[in-house]
Amino acid sequence: MGRRNFLRSSAAFAGLGALAASLSPLREIGDYSSVDEFMQKYYKEMTPDDMSKVIKRIENEVQRQYGIRPHVRDLKPMDGVEFVYCLNLTRCIGCRKCVHACVAENNQSRNPEIQYIRVLKLPHGSMDIEKADHLYNPEAVPQKGFFYMPVQCQQCHNPPCVKVCPVHATWQEKDGITVIDYDWCIGCRYCEAACPYWARRFNFTKPEIPKERLNPNMAYLGNRPRKQGVMEKCHFCIQRTRVGRYPACLEVCPVGARKFGNILDPDSEVSYILREKRIFIQLKEEMGTNPRFFYYFEK
Amino acid sequence: MIHATRDYLTFLWRCARIAFVGDWRYYTWMGGLTVFSLLGLHAYCNQFVHGLIVTGMSDEVSWGVYIANFTFLVGVAAAAVMMVIPVYIYDNEELHDLVIFGELLAVAAIIMCLAFVTVDLGRPDRFWHLIPGIGQLNFPRSMLSWDVIVLNGYLLLNIHICGYLLYCRYQGRKPSKWFYIPFVFIAIVWAVSIHTVTAFLYVGLGGRPFWNSSIVGPRFLASAFSAGPAIIILALQVIRRVTRYHITDKALLTLRSIVQVSMIINVFLLINEIFKEFYSGNLHVASSKYLFLGLDGHHALVPWIWTAIVFNLISMFLLILPLSRSLRWLDVACVLCIVGIWIEKGMGLVIPGFIPTPLGALIEYTPSMNETLVCLGIWAFGLLCYTIFLRMSVPILQGTLSKANEHLPEPEAGVEHSPVPAPH
Amino acid sequence: MSPTPKRPSESSLRRTNWVLAGITCGFLALAAVLLATPWKPATQAKIPLVDPSFLEQTAWRKSYADLAREKADLSDFQCYVCHEKKNPPPLRYDDQHVLIVPDEHSDIKMGHGTHNRNNLCYNCHNEGNLLTFSTRDGNELQFAESSRLCGSCHGPNFRDWEAGVHGRMNGYWNHQLGEFKRLDCVNCHNPHAPRIPTRKPAPPPHPLRQPVLLEPQAPQATTP
Repeated sequence: MGRRNFLRSSAAFAGLGALAASLSPLREIGDYSSVDEFMQKYYKEMTPDDMSKVIKRIENEVQRQYGIRPHVRDLKPMDGVEFVYCLNLTRCIGCRKCVHACVAENNQSRNPEIQYIRVLKLPHGSMDIEKADHLYNPEAVPQKGFFYMPVQCQQCHNPPCVKVCPVHATWQEKDGITVIDYDWCIGCRYCEAACPYWARRFNFTKPEIPKERLNPNMAYLGNRPRKQGVMEKCHFCIQRTRVGRYPACLEVCPVGARKFGNILDPDSEVSYILREKRIFIQLKEEMGTNPRFFYYFEK
Repeated sequence: MIHATRDYLTFLWRCARIAFVGDWRYYTWMGGLTVFSLLGLHAYCNQFVHGLIVTGMSDEVSWGVYIANFTFLVGVAAAAVMMVIPVYIYDNEELHDLVIFGELLAVAAIIMCLAFVTVDLGRPDRFWHLIPGIGQLNFPRSMLSWDVIVLNGYLLLNIHICGYLLYCRYQGRKPSKWFYIPFVFIAIVWAVSIHTVTAFLYVGLGGRPFWNSSIVGPRFLASAFSAGPAIIILALQVIRRVTRYHITDKALLTLRSIVQVSMIINVFLLINEIFKEFYSGNLHVASSKYLFLGLDGHHALVPWIWTAIVFNLISMFLLILPLSRSLRWLDVACVLCIVGIWIEKGMGLVIPGFIPTPLGALIEYTPSMNETLVCLGIWAFGLLCYTIFLRMSVPILQGTLSKANEHLPEPEAGVEHSPVPAPH
Repeated sequence: MSPTPKRPSESSLRRTNWVLAGITCGFLALAAVLLATPWKPATQAKIPLVDPSFLEQTAWRKSYADLAREKADLSDFQCYVCHEKKNPPPLRYDDQHVLIVPDEHSDIKMGHGTHNRNNLCYNCHNEGNLLTFSTRDGNELQFAESSRLCGSCHGPNFRDWEAGVHGRMNGYWNHQLGEFKRLDCVNCHNPHAPRIPTRKPAPPPHPLRQPVLLEPQAPQATTP
């Protein structure tokens, strides 16, 4: 009897030891999350005071990690502005410069690689996306017999990703941009499953951005560096467009295929396109998502 | 009041204690499960630190075996209701004393479900964002918020029903009907809801044609009501063998007819789905093609799904034939049914939804070693919980662990007090 | 149910002891293994950083206006260093009626329009004053006004360009908040051969998991 009690206790203690050993990987936890970040309020519930504290925290974290003092802002939507993007498929040559300009502007992870724009190569005459080639890499583009379709977040009027998020971590702002609070997302990836455009990306591990390529002009809902385990996606370069500038993908496009602007302004380029051009396409229109991203052909 | 609290704490203490007492078979079983649980915990700690990169998931296939197992186990949990219905609605005597084992299975299954959802989160430290009041639960718009509510609600309901009935039996008093019958009926509806809501989780995604089909919900229920009772049939036979708890063959055969009917419906719905996908042959057939036939030379799931279909068919025929009135054949049918549905509803449902991606890319998914260890760990932990629940409840139901024998010295391994007759 | 407690046999109790001892050893061994084999993240193939030339935003050609603004060397535009104002250079054609570009202008490849439709320098250059352009309806335009020259033929594109819809834009979409820059036609199009040349695309994506390589593109049918 006594011997068995002893054996039982020793098994229990050995079990506790094994439990402790099984927790050993937690030693490498590093800067997973600070207390301030853990306790941080939801974006829409923060007072301006809360926000300035949060911004200070983010600036300090970025400085510690990258050695560069960033300029982080919480930019709000402008009144009387609703953004629309138009992309001229007749012009696009599939050079993928937009993909990489976006990565550079928005501080995406280089390793593993996160890109918001995916350029599809499609055979002439078909919009069947299942025929798309994502990895084309010929000596020269455009290739005869194909057209190229860059796909990124379509900033839907009726976004399925916003509907499914269990914690309101992603929402549509009044200028039409669907944003993510990276400090609120729990990383369930339901939005990624819901998006019909495969526009959302998940940080499967800690993102890696080389110091010398960090863009220090940052926005809270925009391009500030993300943490492991959260979603991100195209936000129409909030840190640029909400101060009146063009998005990075547009400025780098060598053929002027990308057009961006305020659809509520009748003199804007995008208003002109939707008024004057004949054929434009909302990708997967049948989904009822009503994108703010229009593809068009001309001639 | 103080008295009642003290009594209740004594009850909990004695239950906890008995979980650590058993014979050599019990220790071997529990020791093995603990080792697997800890291996899983270790693997999860790796994942927690390094991120979901240690799994096989990607932006292309963003849910994997975690969510697959979750889906299957929701069905198992929901299936507890298939024992409750005959007992409380049709007053089936044979199952009456067994229903609690089904409910305990539901508790264990929900614990596993919650564990599988948690390990799938990128930021488990932010789980509190889901708690209404302090967090931002997107209810009622997000189906995942519904799932959070119905799963936790179902867990609480079943803990209440089992806990209350067991405590009454322990105290040797008759349970008050008002205290549990209403909850039993709520739990019946709730069980259907957990599975329907989990199906809606997938069905609601318009961008994934493979899931965006109204038949997914009914298929979930049919498969759950065959795999769940099949697990209970096997569990009851184990209980019968290792304890002296009395379980009649007739009770098992009642469950058999439940599995039988559900399996026939399940196979019928599967045929419906396959017909619709392949006969119409529109562009959305790609995922089904990938699952059943392989697409452009990629066919990781093809052997699995055909194994599942063959198992389901054999199991269905065995269940239809009188042959499966013999328990040995019934066991074979149950095992085939469980494995078949686990494949079909886990991997066979979740993965093809992502292949090809909405932009037509074909990237396959294979669970990583670390991911597999986490899954094994959660299954081991779930079985550990269920074993402990049974270890506690069987002596209580037999009357060997009761308030009446509280003063006696604690039982030693393999020795149990004689039951003190409960007042009826 | 037996009315008296059943005592387990001696051998069974002994076996319990052995199992408990075994479990203790098992747990300790597990602890040792877990501590001794720290998990290493699988080293992923390093993805090379993209060549910064792909991030370049500036136009690939410079217009006369750009060069003038930069005070760059404009000697290429001093036509009368070689030519004589009284004596506009004659145009010579081969037997296919294709313009023969003189060796002094060998950098020029004629390719404006198909079927050699635009086979005449004086469609754009002013025969009477090589330092200016002249539209088909006889308007004289300065080199810096080249876009208007293009617009004299390419009406719809010119209209789109004026609206900011054809061609490249830089700067601010909101003109109240900052400057915007509309590039000239010649910033993208070589006026003598306006089709935009093909180029090497930036590197393709590196999917996180084993990418499924698409079947190699069928080679373009070539005529023997």
